[in-house]
Amino acid sequence: MTTAENVLSGIQEKFPATLLKAQQPQTDRLYLTVKREEIRPLTDYLFNTLHARLIMSVGTDKTPIDGNYEVSYIYSLDSRNLILLVKELVPPNDPQVPSVTNIIPGANWHEREVYDLLGIKAEGHPDPRRLVVSDDWPEDVYPLRKDVPYNFRPPIVREVKPPLREPNENEKKATILSVGPFFPTLEEPAYFRLFVEGEQIVGSDYRGFFAHRGIEKLTDTVLDYNQIPFMAERICGICGFVHSACYCMAVEQAAGIEVPPRAQYIRSIMMELERVHSHLLWLGLAGHYLGFDTVLMQAWRIREPVMWLVEAITGNRKTYGLNLPGGVRRDLTPELCDQILQTIEKMEKETRELVGAAVEDHTLKMRLENVGRLSPEDARKICVVGPTARASGVDIDTRKDHPYCAFPEVKFKSALQQSCDIWARTLIRAEETFTSFDLIRQLIAKLPPGELMANVGNIPPWREGIGIAEAPRGEVAHYILTGLDNRPYRWRVRAATYPQLQAVPRMLEGMQVADFPIIVGSIDPCFSCTERVVTVDRATKTPRIYTKKDLLAMSRQRTQALR
Amino acid sequence: MRGEGAVRGEVGEMISKIKEALICLRAGRVTFRYPLAPMPAPKRFRGRPTIDGSKCLGCGACASVCPPRMISMHDADRRRTVELNYSRCTYCARCQEICPVGSMTCTEDFELATKGRENYSVAVELEMVPCRDCGTPFMTQRMLKKMIAEFCPPWMEKRLQAPEWFWLCPDCRIQSTGLTMERNIRNE
Amino acid sequence: MQNLAVGVFNILFVLLAAPLLDGVMRQVKARIHSRQGPSILQTYFDLGKLMVKEDQRAVNNTIFSLAPIVGFAAVLLAALFIPMGGVVPLGFAGDALVLLYVLTMGPICLCLGGMASGSPYAYVGVNREIMMLMLVEPVIAISLIASAVKAHSLMLSDCVRQSLTGTPSSSLLICAVAFFLALQPEMAKIPFDLSEAEQEIMEGPLVEYSGRKLALLKWSFYCKQIVLLTLFVEWFVPWPAVGSLPLRIVLTLVKVLFGAVLVEVIAQVFPRLKIAQSMRYFVSVIAFALTGLMLAVIGL
Repeated sequence: MTTAENVLSGIQEKFPATLLKAQQPQTDRLYLTVKREEIRPLTDYLFNTLHARLIMSVGTDKTPIDGNYEVSYIYSLDSRNLILLVKELVPPNDPQVPSVTNIIPGANWHEREVYDLLGIKAEGHPDPRRLVVSDDWPEDVYPLRKDVPYNFRPPIVREVKPPLREPNENEKKATILSVGPFFPTLEEPAYFRLFVEGEQIVGSDYRGFFAHRGIEKLTDTVLDYNQIPFMAERICGICGFVHSACYCMAVEQAAGIEVPPRAQYIRSIMMELERVHSHLLWLGLAGHYLGFDTVLMQAWRIREPVMWLVEAITGNRKTYGLNLPGGVRRDLTPELCDQILQTIEKMEKETRELVGAAVEDHTLKMRLENVGRLSPEDARKICVVGPTARASGVDIDTRKDHPYCAFPEVKFKSALQQSCDIWARTLIRAEETFTSFDLIRQLIAKLPPGELMANVGNIPPWREGIGIAEAPRGEVAHYILTGLDNRPYRWRVRAATYPQLQAVPRMLEGMQVADFPIIVGSIDPCFSCTERVVTVDRATKTPRIYTKKDLLAMSRQRTQALR
Repeated sequence: MRGEGAVRGEVGEMISKIKEALICLRAGRVTFRYPLAPMPAPKRFRGRPTIDGSKCLGCGACASVCPPRMISMHDADRRRTVELNYSRCTYCARCQEICPVGSMTCTEDFELATKGRENYSVAVELEMVPCRDCGTPFMTQRMLKKMIAEFCPPWMEKRLQAPEWFWLCPDCRIQSTGLTMERNIRNE
Repeated sequence: MQNLAVGVFNILFVLLAAPLLDGVMRQVKARIHSRQGPSILQTYFDLGKLMVKEDQRAVNNTIFSLAPIVGFAAVLLAALFIPMGGVVPLGFAGDALVLLYVLTMGPICLCLGGMASGSPYAYVGVNREIMMLMLVEPVIAISLIASAVKAHSLMLSDCVRQSLTGTPSSSLLICAVAFFLALQPEMAKIPFDLSEAEQEIMEGPLVEYSGRKLALLKWSFYCKQIVLLTLFVEWFVPWPAVGSLPLRIVLTLVKVLFGAVLVEVIAQVFPRLKIAQSMRYFVSVIAFALTGLMLAVIGL
């Protein structure tokens, strides 16, 4: 019996009345439909007995098709290379599901998002505040429902207050320090409310999604399969390629498209180049958050050749535009392969020097050791991924657990540390950079000849595909439900930073204000990945003009409100 | 007051700092003087797209693949206008990839700041051919010419002539084919 | 007469050369960062730009408005106490102690202005500033007293002459090192710039200042940097001895330049330390300076 069959029979045995339908479209995918009322005991079994890890939840509005909403929870059984989708059907006249947050704390944001975007309430959720839609969004408009148009504009609301919590019992004596919505160090839109006593942080809360773009809605309505990779690439400014590759993998899985091996290898090479670029960027940012701008400048100087390299390969420094469902668009000629090998040789030497100096730096270690701790139990409960998880001893790496593209053909070791602090995360990222250099050499040596693109015909409707990949920040997952007329019906993205941000309040407990930027920085946050930003509406051609006086008055008003 | 170990630690720290400073100084200055000095983009850089009006067929393939939907095609008065607006262009080069005649190309130009939004539009106007039966313009002249020229495969000895219905719009083609089929059935 | 001339020179020098010294330090920083960097005159342009920028008037408070002005005046006053070429313009018995107090007025004014602004970031910054002040000023005071003990006088000109002409002594060497270590936080340089002008807490006490007030505050920081460097150089590194006054002044300026480069290089190879770590470090620097004092008392 295969793993999937094992798991299926286990579930059928323990929950005979719960299972309504089971499908196994590929060997490593198991899709179950279950009764909504019985979801909690099943979730408990999956999380605590089978040690599954929650990847994401997807809410889909299928009322025009079969009259139901669907809420699916997607789990990964890392040690068995299995992705499990558990779907519950929700009738539109009773839009609620039992909450599983008290079984899996990491489901907190997922259930809030499903409510914000589809109006399906999670019964028993400990913290049902608004998460994704902006503070002035009207209460009863749920954007991802099929009856809401993609260019809907809500009425303007002047006075809004972000849903950040007030101090609780043991924070009564604390001062409230508002970090954001614009914070100069992080240079991203994020709003943390810190409760501080002197220098020590006693509690925190987070309001994000300022840059929510609504790309999932856009996909459901106006884009087609070949246009989405370019949208997916722009989800993130650093791991864009992984997102577009992961989307293509999801579509290829759903439609049963066989990607030619050369394309798989090219995808893997570009992903590893992106990993090198991202980790060097992170090293620089970590230095910047500590006030050590020299590390920033030197790390980014060492990183620059990889940007020139990918510009020569793909035509752009960051938005590679290489992926389409079925393969890649540009080839790696032998000259380009030589160029890659030369560049990474030089970069490896310089990175070794820089990392060597950083690791021996006593002051740097003083700032990073024992700061921002995340215990292994918390790491598992909040379902964090990537270097953040591996620093807390949770040995997960999508390239090993659910091999994709050319990764089954190469050998490498995953970095793992046990000390759970920022120093561990730094060491892991440094080690991964060197592993990536080695992987690139292995992949180029084994690059097979052949086609770059498969023949993609019509994509059949109502097929589900789940693509997962290891971005530099952690695991990225895309879910696609194909629809009619060669267009997708639902696309859901879960970026790596989504669970990580839920873990940040745990990391901030007991730390100092001075540590705040580096703690948030240590998860390598990609706020735009998490938030999937705003489209500019071209429909109304009337420009809205604010005079400088207006803007100043509005900003003062806002600051007063935030205080 | 301070143990020897601490002193050695301090000396080690100082040496690692000096090593760090040397790494930095050895690199020299790596920033370029752009924009005070020019910095051209490398080959095959995906920059501003442009349409070559002398080759464009008016097929509309570019309009159907553009991810931000910034290429539009509309017909008015026996003229087809293909308009490319690159104010929100993503420089993905899909239009270049899909264009059957190579009229849509991505230059290596990336310095696109301008004061007027109208400078972001490039449009090509193409003459259309009216249907022989109903007179509605249905295809551009250039496309029809190309279809006629390429209708006969080059290896055929006897030149094939383009059939009559090439000059009819789609509705009239259906009508005409229907009538022909009806006639054939009646004759059998 | 000489005192008057040196006094005028001091004031003009501190006022006009301070932005230039900051410009030099920014170039050193850029060089270590492997980038082009701004021209050394850039700080003049920045101050000029701030002078003509609109004052946001975010806080309507007398203390808030007066703090930059009083702080600036304090630094210029300190300039009159600084020896230049061995001559102290405003010298009198006990002027070393007065110098210490005048130097402390600048940070105090900054703290008062920060608290008056009402921003929580300013409170955090002021907190840190006061804690650092409590640990760094004693180092300067102890070095000063040790030097005064050796010179048997509290007049700064006597102390300076002593370190120039007197036999090299271990106590003065220790005090020189301690004073140099105290220069980093006093000049608000990494690794000890955690109180003011820092991205972690959005510039701390400076966060609500804008326009002319901000220009004055920044200018007073640059002036303080140059005052402290000159003090250090004149007091602890007075060699070689040369005859004429103008030559001595030029020598001092060259040494100040070297000192600035050294301070900036140190600032660029360290990350910023947290308040608890900085305090622990300075407690040991105080202990170090105390050994210098004890050596001075027993005559070494």
